[in-house]
Amino acid sequence: MTDQGIKSRPRYQPLEIDPAGRHHLLVVPSEDVPSDAVAEGFAPSAFEVWTVVRKSALPPSAITEEAAGTVRAFRSPAHLFSALEERLARETMGLRLYAVGPEDFLWDVYGVGEKAGLSPQEMRFTHSGTKARRIFCVHCRAVTEKVTTSIVTCSGCGASLFVRDHFSRRLSAFMGVQVDAEAPGDVPAAEELYA
Amino acid sequence: MTAAPTLSVRIREIEPLGASLKRFALEPAHGGELPTPAPGAHILLTLRDGGRVMKNAYSLVSPAAARDRYEIIVRRVAQSRGGSAFLHQQAREGDVIDIGYPVNLFPLQAKARKHLLIGGGIGITPLLSHLHLLKARGLKFEMHQLCAPEEAGVFEALLAPYGEAGEILVHGTGRARFDLAGILARQPLGTHVYTCGPRTLMEAVATTASALGWPAGKIHKESFGENSGGLPFKAMLARSGIEVEVGETQSLLEAVEAAGIDAPCLCRGGACGECKVSVLEGEVEHRDDFLSAEEKASQGAIMLCVSRARGARLVLDL
Amino acid sequence: MTLQFKPDETFRKDFTYRNSDAGILRFPFPFPEDEYMYSVNIEPHVRGGPTAAFQAAFDVDEHYVAECRERALVLAEDPKRCQVLPHMELAQWDTLELIMESLAADYPDLFSLSKDGDLWTWVNKPLSIQQTFTFGKADTLPCPPFEYITRQAQGDFTLQDQREDNLYVDGGMVTTQADWSLEFDIGMSFHEWHGPVPLAHEKGVFDRALKYLLRLQYGQPVRRLNWTMTINPRLDTSPENYPVWGPDRTTITPENVAEKVHLRVELQTLFRLPRSNAILFGIRCYLASVAELSRVPKWRKRLHRVLRDLHPAIQEYKGLPRYRQMVIDTLAPFDDGAPLSKGIQSDLTAL
Repeated sequence: MTDQGIKSRPRYQPLEIDPAGRHHLLVVPSEDVPSDAVAEGFAPSAFEVWTVVRKSALPPSAITEEAAGTVRAFRSPAHLFSALEERLARETMGLRLYAVGPEDFLWDVYGVGEKAGLSPQEMRFTHSGTKARRIFCVHCRAVTEKVTTSIVTCSGCGASLFVRDHFSRRLSAFMGVQVDAEAPGDVPAAEELYA
Repeated sequence: MTAAPTLSVRIREIEPLGASLKRFALEPAHGGELPTPAPGAHILLTLRDGGRVMKNAYSLVSPAAARDRYEIIVRRVAQSRGGSAFLHQQAREGDVIDIGYPVNLFPLQAKARKHLLIGGGIGITPLLSHLHLLKARGLKFEMHQLCAPEEAGVFEALLAPYGEAGEILVHGTGRARFDLAGILARQPLGTHVYTCGPRTLMEAVATTASALGWPAGKIHKESFGENSGGLPFKAMLARSGIEVEVGETQSLLEAVEAAGIDAPCLCRGGACGECKVSVLEGEVEHRDDFLSAEEKASQGAIMLCVSRARGARLVLDL
Repeated sequence: MTLQFKPDETFRKDFTYRNSDAGILRFPFPFPEDEYMYSVNIEPHVRGGPTAAFQAAFDVDEHYVAECRERALVLAEDPKRCQVLPHMELAQWDTLELIMESLAADYPDLFSLSKDGDLWTWVNKPLSIQQTFTFGKADTLPCPPFEYITRQAQGDFTLQDQREDNLYVDGGMVTTQADWSLEFDIGMSFHEWHGPVPLAHEKGVFDRALKYLLRLQYGQPVRRLNWTMTINPRLDTSPENYPVWGPDRTTITPENVAEKVHLRVELQTLFRLPRSNAILFGIRCYLASVAELSRVPKWRKRLHRVLRDLHPAIQEYKGLPRYRQMVIDTLAPFDDGAPLSKGIQSDLTAL
C-alpha cells in the first residue's frame, strides 16, 4: 500500500483490552473475532462480544445483559448498530467500546459511540479484513463503496476520482477528488492498491 | 503569553454571607462594560496594603450575561497569605482595585451529555457560575456540595435559585457519609464531572472516577493554573553590558523589553522559537515547547518569553 | 479615512475585482524574508502592524460589500458551506458578540450596537441592515447567530471546540477557502484537519502550534499569515468546485501571467471565546495580482526570490507547478538581487 503522508489517515493497533475500563463491549461484523487482529494475551472472556452471522432466521436475544464472556449474534451489521444505539443509551460511565473489522465498519461504530457520548479515549478500533475504501466525492457528496483502486469513477457524478489518504471519521470515508479537473480527460491508469 | 490586560474596578458592594464568607460586587471604575465573564473563570486581584502587594485569584460567581459587575465570594482563611484577611477587614465599598482579565481553566464541556458538579466548602464558587449557565441553557446536571454542618444553610441559600433546574444536594454531614463511588458509578455515558474544593476532595473524585473507568478527559478539577512567574532573578545581558532584574510576576522577555532592549520575539508563548538566545552562564528552567530535550539538557539556549533562571543569575548573549 | 466601497466588483465570471493604490499598500504581504518555510509564525493580534490591514480586530476594507455579496451567492448555491455542530451553540453567540462589539468599536461610522439588557440592536450601514433581537434567543434572528454575523464579515471563520487536550473544528463559515472542504473536515482534530499539509508535521510545527493554542487566553488574540496563489481574483476556490476553477490553471501565458495570477494571503486570527471556551479562527483572504504587487519594488523582488527557491513539496501542495515558472520569469528582470529590509512592510508611503 502507498502512503501519501497524510496524517488524518487512521493507524491501528492489534486489539488489546483497556485495563482502565470497567466493562468491555466488542463488536465485529463477522461470526468470530479475527484471530490475526488481536494482541498477544488477548482473552475474549474479558469482553462481551457482539457478532454478525448474516442470517434472517437468527432468533432474537436480549441486549441488556452485560456479562463479560457472553457472545451475542446479530442478523446484519445494521441490526447490530440498531441494538448498539439502544444499549449505549442505557449504559453508565466506565464502558469501553471496541470494534474489529473493515475500515468503514469501524468508523460507523465510532459514529454510534460518539453520538452516545463516548470520547475517542473510550473506544478502540482494529482494522481487519479487506482494505477496500469508502470514498466520499468532495464534488457531489456521493459515496462509492468498496474501492480498491487509486482512481475510481464516482457513483454519483461520474468524475474520475483520485483516492486521497485524507480520512473523515465523521463520514467514515476517504476523500475523492477529480483527478483531471485541471486538464479534463488526462486520467492516469488506475492501480489496484487497496485489495 | 503576554501579560493580560489589567482592568480597574470599584468595590460596589460587600455583603456578608456567613461567619467567614463575604460576597464582593465589583464594577468598572471608569464606566462601560467588563469583558464577558466565562463560566468557571477566575480573576486575579491585585491588593495593595501600604507597600505590600498581594495577588489573589478568585472564581467569578456572577452570570456571563452580567457585564456591569463581577461578583466573587471570599472566605477568610486563618493561614491566609494576607489577601483574604485584607479583603475581609480593610477593603471598603468604593475602593478601587486592579484585576486581571478573566482566565478560564475550568470550563464546562460543550459535548457533555450530563454535568456532575461536586463542590467542597468555598470550592462552590466556580460551580455557581457553571450553574447559571446550565440552568439558563436547560442542560442536564447534578450537583453535590459538601460542607461543615454549620455552613449548610449558607450553601443551601446560594444554591436555591438552581434547585428547580436539576438535582442539587447539600451534604452537611461530612465526607464519611457521602457515597462518592455510588454517585460516580451510576452516571450515564457522556457525563463529565467537575470538582472544586479541598485538594483531598478533588483527588478523591479523580481517583475514584478513574477507578470506575472514567476517562481522564471527562474529569475536571479546578486549577488556578501554573504560576507563570517564579522567583526573581538577575539577567546579565553581555552584549548590551547591562543587568536586568526579573520580578516574580514578570517574564524575562518583559524585563529585557522594560530595560529598552529590542529583543527578538513573536508568539510570546514558547512555541515559535524567535526569541531563542544563547546562555553564557547559569542554569535555565525551561518552560517552552520549542527546544528539543537535548537542547534543554545542554543548557545552551533560553526562550526569553517563558523560561526563567533556576538560580539567582543568568548571563545571556544579548 | 473614509472607505470607498466597490459594491459591484465580482469574484467570478468577469472578475472585475481590483485593488486601489491604498488597497495595494495595505496588503498584508506574507514574506518577511527571502525564503519561505513552514513555522509557528504566530504573534499577538494587537492593533497596529506593518500595514493598515492590522489596525482592527476584524479588518474591513474597500471590498467589504462585494465580498459579503459573493458569500451570499456561494451560500445560495451550497448552504452547507456554513455548518455548526449542535454542541457549539454557545460559541455561535460568543462569535456574534465578539464580531458585533469589535466592528462597532473599530468602525463607529459603519456599524453600531446598542443594548437594552438582552435586547440588542445592530446597525450595519454598508449593507443597510438594522436588526433588533434578543441575545441568546436564536429565533429572534433571521438565521442562526454564527451564520448571521459571518454573512456580514469578510473572510472565512471556523469554530474550534477544546477537549481532551485537542482542538476540533466543529463549525465554520467557509466560502472563500484555499482548497479545503468544511463538509469533509468538520469534526476533525487539529492534526487531522492539517493532515494534508506537507513537511510541517515532521518539523513539529503542528505539535507546537497546538500546545500554544490550547493555552490561548480570552482577551489575548493571536494572528499569523498564510498564503497561496490563485488564478483570477476568485474567492471560492473550494475543493467542491475544483472542476470549475481547476482549468483556470492551464490558461496562464507569459502575456497574461501578471494580471491573472494572484497572491492569496490569509490573515488568520484566533480568539478565545468566553462562554463556550471555544476558539474562533478567522481566515481573512486578501487577493492581489502579480501586476498589482509589482508596483511595490520590495515586494516584487521578494516574491521572485521566494517562488524561485520554494520547496517542491510546498509548490505541489499549493498547486503552483503549472505556472510558477512563468511568474518567476515575469518578475526576474526586476530583481537586481539587492538586499531587502526584513519584515513585510512595503517601505513606501504612496504609490
